[in-house]
Amino acid sequence: MKERIQKLRDFFVLRREHHRFRQAPGDPGLLAADFARCRIPPQDRSAKRLLSVLQQEIPVIFPQERILFTRTVRTIPDLFTPEETAALKSTHWIHERGDISNINVDYTKLLYTGLAPKKLELEKLRNRFLRDCREDKAHYITLQIQILDGILDLAERYRLLALEQGNPAAEILSRVPAQAPRTFPEALQMFRILHFVMWCGGNYHNTIGRFDQYMVPYLTRDLEKGLYPLEDALELLEEFFLTFNRDSDLYPGMQQGDNGQSMVLGGRLEDGSDGFNLLSRLCLQASLELKVIDPKINLRVHRDTPLETYRLGTELTKQGLGFPQYSNDDIVIPGLTELGYAPEDACSYAVAACWEFIIPGKAMDIPNIEALSFAKAVADALETALEDSASYKAFYARVRENIRAQAEALCEKVKNVYLYPAPYLSLMMEGCCENGQDLSQGCRYQNYGIHGTGLAAAADSLAAIRKYVFEEKRISAAELKKALEQDYAGYDQLYTMLRYEAPKLGNNDDYVDQIAVSLLADFADALKGKKNDRGGIFRAGTGTAMYYLWHTNDLPATPDGRHRGEALGCNYSPGLFTRCSGPVSIIRSFAKPNLKETINGGPLTLELHDTMFRTEESTEKVALLVKSFMDLGGHQLQLNAVNRDTMLAAQKHPEQYRSLIVRVWGWSGYFVELDKEYQDHIIQRMELAM
Amino acid sequence: MTGIIFDHKELAVYDGPGLRQTIFFKGCPLRCSWCHNPEGLCPRPQLMVSHASCTHCGRCLRACTHKTCIACGDCVPVCPLHLRQIAGQLLTAEELSLRILKDADYYAAYGGGVTFSGGEPLMQAAFLREVLLRLPRVHCALETSGYCRPALFQEITALLDYVLMDIKLFDDTLHRQYTGVSNQWILRNARTLCQGQNPFVIRIPVIPGVNDTDDNYRQTAAFLSGAPSLVRVEFLPYHKTAGAKYSMAGMEYKPRFDPNRPIHISQEIFETYRIRSVIL
Repeated sequence: MKERIQKLRDFFVLRREHHRFRQAPGDPGLLAADFARCRIPPQDRSAKRLLSVLQQEIPVIFPQERILFTRTVRTIPDLFTPEETAALKSTHWIHERGDISNINVDYTKLLYTGLAPKKLELEKLRNRFLRDCREDKAHYITLQIQILDGILDLAERYRLLALEQGNPAAEILSRVPAQAPRTFPEALQMFRILHFVMWCGGNYHNTIGRFDQYMVPYLTRDLEKGLYPLEDALELLEEFFLTFNRDSDLYPGMQQGDNGQSMVLGGRLEDGSDGFNLLSRLCLQASLELKVIDPKINLRVHRDTPLETYRLGTELTKQGLGFPQYSNDDIVIPGLTELGYAPEDACSYAVAACWEFIIPGKAMDIPNIEALSFAKAVADALETALEDSASYKAFYARVRENIRAQAEALCEKVKNVYLYPAPYLSLMMEGCCENGQDLSQGCRYQNYGIHGTGLAAAADSLAAIRKYVFEEKRISAAELKKALEQDYAGYDQLYTMLRYEAPKLGNNDDYVDQIAVSLLADFADALKGKKNDRGGIFRAGTGTAMYYLWHTNDLPATPDGRHRGEALGCNYSPGLFTRCSGPVSIIRSFAKPNLKETINGGPLTLELHDTMFRTEESTEKVALLVKSFMDLGGHQLQLNAVNRDTMLAAQKHPEQYRSLIVRVWGWSGYFVELDKEYQDHIIQRMELAM
Repeated sequence: MTGIIFDHKELAVYDGPGLRQTIFFKGCPLRCSWCHNPEGLCPRPQLMVSHASCTHCGRCLRACTHKTCIACGDCVPVCPLHLRQIAGQLLTAEELSLRILKDADYYAAYGGGVTFSGGEPLMQAAFLREVLLRLPRVHCALETSGYCRPALFQEITALLDYVLMDIKLFDDTLHRQYTGVSNQWILRNARTLCQGQNPFVIRIPVIPGVNDTDDNYRQTAAFLSGAPSLVRVEFLPYHKTAGAKYSMAGMEYKPRFDPNRPIHISQEIFETYRIRSVIL
């Protein structure tokens, strides 16, 4: 890493000196009150809110900076007053904050065009709509033109400041964003602006998508022309990566770090060839050198991915960043195609904020709309049907019914979704401006994804019931129910047996693994054929997000030896107190289900002790382990190099561990910035590291 | 024929080529002062107790019906925190080989196989031999102290694909002092490896103040010099965590050296003898 980058990293990430330039927090409700008073329609509000933030922005440029744009406005105003929001919620399903999030726009729609030519295009469109007497649509296009003007205005203010300070970025800003970038440096600056603006508009969890694919033409051209050596490109890319870490504490998320800035590298191209290119490699290197939490790297792999690519990824894992996260094209693409995505769209998949598979520029999917609880399906069946079930098979049938019922209820529950309009994002989504239609009204795809929590807890519980109640008859149904009701008080021996000695998912034991296979198949089956009221479908997934904690709220003690109130495992992973026989068993167990059917996303999470990464050779073996999961039909994998002792020390002396990075669920964050609840969950996970 | 093992590790990354599983045989004739696997020493099952989070609830005491521990395991299932376990599982050669074969294809697909470690696997040479004969198509490696009758050593290594062997100390007097046994057999067996066709690795556990001298390295390097099948020399630096499991095995960790002293490694000496080396 060059000294300039080291200095910028220290400035922005360690010392955060740029925070001093932030403006005082504003009242988020002021603008909405105005909107309500003047009865401004929602689309106009969204545009006006964005414009107001852009206008309020004060350009700042720091020493040695080459890629500009830093947030100084802390508060993104609300679109609606609390009363309006309450009214909306009473008649609609409002997803999270209401603003469109967790999608991957097609940046090239602006990047490859430039804002000025885009404006001309929009003006023509507006005239066409006016001719067709579609004043509503013409008005919508006007809002988009105003937004482009707002961006151009802020960019111009930045340019003037750069000029004044003699910063070479002034020259770049004399080209972009008004005109399409010609070089890699111009393209990076323009991307920074486009991305920056999204957050100003209240849209969050804005993913970066297949950055190496849409940006590599600039880099290749520059290198062919000999404009600069490769090491300068790396330097600039590193500065660019740092821009994702400048304002991220202002971005909304569950915890610091949960900001959705995922970048996807590599993967099959439409012609079947491997898309891992020079820029993919450079991105891995930049991430490796910088050791910062954003952007979060996802690596697409497939049958023909060379071991070298896995090895580069593993070098990154070794740093303890918790990424890359791998996804397997050979499972994901057919899985998405099976769900109805066009093959070329499936082939272009990216990853949402955490792990959900989404289609850039075309999908207004909500891949995290709700979550099904496998553990609850079992707990409910136990409550109502265990004593009456004549066989395990009969009992499992009740579990299956519960899964269906939960799925049914979830699909019913998420009706009438209202998304806040997003005229800026709509500029980068297929068919939106062409039709004068906001993205919130839909795009080519509007599918909903449902997570599945507690898979291991459910499979382990069912295995225990099958073995001890039905087969060995060591305990009666009534007795088991009583033990669970009493949270195992007075049932020490039973508790230890269930918790530690019963068969557990993750040991390559078909007895329990096949139960997980059934549970997932039944989940997928329960959603098959169901339509949402936006014309999309429902996708089953293996992720949990924060539901692994939420779903324990009303969950009683379970027959896997879990006490009431104890957390469930995160994502697609063994139970929290399962002592698995090793990573190979885990991989073999978790590759058994037909993962093409549960392709909403959700990675198998593996914790490997950091001593496994000591030498080049051992690191390559870890790379082989990752490859083996994909070879066996795994869909998505995320592994961590962990050291529990380090984390315990960090809890005691947080000031000494400010840069310690850990994976939380779909994202990495700084350990010391997490709430204790999350820290403890991670430490518990580490106890079972291989 | 039965043998006794105390662990079966998946994905051992330092135990030979490719992805491997490692079987740990229980029982060892050496008593190295730095041993980090104390449960590998005694060739019989034994109780291991993790004391750190014990709440002294007394359930284990109530379950016990013996005056001295016979590793019967009665106290294991009653512990609510799962702090007790029996180290040491008796099993037949057939049982062990079936267990290895379960995932053998997986490991083979990634250039690996199985490694027998310990303890000292050669202490159960007859058992090991029988297991090896049942695994003709599996890549088999041995991790050994090399302390074994030379004739037996030759017989076993003939069945192996790869050997990782320690030369802990070249000086015999010091070897006796720190490991309890002479290194005569070990050096003869090392000579056999040097003259043979099978690829092998020599390992040096680097113990501060015991064997981390240029003298020891030079003698070892000179001894190994020119061996065509020597893959490399691996230095295994002493870790202070070596003593972690002693209290679990009801033993006291009493290293006869200063664990806090910095260690000395010289790869250069091996380089002068054209021997590749790596620090693990």
